[in-house]
Amino acid sequence: MRLNLVLELLDIPGQLIDALEPIGRLGANIVTVIHQRDVKTERGTVPVQITIEGDKDTLDRVITTLENRNIQIMEVDGVLRKEKIRTILIGDIVDKDVKDALNRLNVFEGVKVVDFNLKMSDDPEKSASKIIIEADYGKRKDIMKRIKDVGISKGFLVINEV
Amino acid sequence: MKLCILGFGAVGRGVAKVISMKKEEMKEKYGLDLKITAVTDTSGAAIYDEGLDPNLLLKIKEDTGKISNYPEYGISKISNMEVLHKVDFDCLIEVTPTDIENGEPAKSHILKAFNDKKDVVTSNKGPLALSFRELAESAKENNVQLKYEASVGGAMPILNFAHDTLPSCNIKSIFGILNGTTNYILSRMAKEGSSYEQILKESQEMGIAETNPAQDVEGTDAACKVVILANSIMNRDVTLKDVEIVGISKITQEAISLARNEGYLIKLIGEISEDTLEVSPRLVREGSPFAVDGTLNVATLKTDLAEDVTVVGKGAGSIETASAILSDIISIYKSKE
Repeated sequence: MRLNLVLELLDIPGQLIDALEPIGRLGANIVTVIHQRDVKTERGTVPVQITIEGDKDTLDRVITTLENRNIQIMEVDGVLRKEKIRTILIGDIVDKDVKDALNRLNVFEGVKVVDFNLKMSDDPEKSASKIIIEADYGKRKDIMKRIKDVGISKGFLVINEV
Repeated sequence: MKLCILGFGAVGRGVAKVISMKKEEMKEKYGLDLKITAVTDTSGAAIYDEGLDPNLLLKIKEDTGKISNYPEYGISKISNMEVLHKVDFDCLIEVTPTDIENGEPAKSHILKAFNDKKDVVTSNKGPLALSFRELAESAKENNVQLKYEASVGGAMPILNFAHDTLPSCNIKSIFGILNGTTNYILSRMAKEGSSYEQILKESQEMGIAETNPAQDVEGTDAACKVVILANSIMNRDVTLKDVEIVGISKITQEAISLARNEGYLIKLIGEISEDTLEVSPRLVREGSPFAVDGTLNVATLKTDLAEDVTVVGKGAGSIETASAILSDIISIYKSKE
């Protein structure tokens, strides 16, 4: 079977070799590599399209190995990969209207609130809400800033991931 | 090398202690003969050009609380400025209490020493966080050195590490736990499930948190360190008011427990990155480099060539902080050989 990947590489020497090396070593065939250094993402990284061929186990192993090497995979067969972003808000969920905060996060493009958990306290101000958001790959920093803005505007103490 | 130590609190006493412990070793290893020619505290000073006895200084301070009681060479009611004027020394060790309103009187002490062509080693965050450029420029104009490794992270090497060990790299960002007291409180809250108020009270009784813990728990201390790192390592021109600060006093057990269910801890993190200068509670993954316990400090430097480099070390403590001061003294001495 064939698999189309879009990798996201830093624009420094040696990155492409590092990404291709495990593919051959694990026994997958490289069908095409499209590498245009002058086309960059908004983060200044270079997207590289790679088509590889092999049996399913081999291809799975390739993906795991690339991930272990911290090589970012943006797309698999045309589907954008998602990443999870976790946040905790401290404050009174009724008074500060946590539902509205969630709605305001959900309207951002490519963002979906996938999990919400509450831990209530006798003192409502001490209550904590955990929000897990799924977002398109590579938007983490932007989305964390939006979460912070929404949380602060509602009067919550926002604890984002590092 | 003759040292003038201004301030004889925990750090100043630590310096006297490490000098007493390492005096012979310094001579053998580096040919460095350290002499303390003056020490001051609020009572006055002890001054002797041939060198004071570090052990006697410590004993007098412990027994009587006043350095001016030092036999024969003790002087009461002499100001720090007068001491700087009067004493023969090569390097000022500025370890008076930190003031984060205007950085004084430490700032004036440091500038006076520079004008007199003396090098300065300090752990004092106040003047560095408020007037970094002014101090750095004055040192340069007077062709003397200003070293301040002990001001960030106590014994954790970071400033000299970035300058001397990673000079090939550009540092893109720094994330770190830069305050031992808050890390201790948050670690214990996570381990024991007790409330913030209760752990803070116990920490105060143990001497880990100060009677007025505001500077630590509201994040100001960590913010001072963020400023020093930004100016020193990342060549910014920022002061304390440029840092967005949120402390830990509103962190609840409910939040810690929700984080733990996800495999995360809450830590007070200082961030210096392209568009961010902040201190705030953040979620860090259990088992990650930031998941350090107790009073430990940690910092990850993101570099252009070496990727991530992480350093960990004791963030406070008299001897630990003094170790960084002694290292700075040795490095000044070596640079002149």
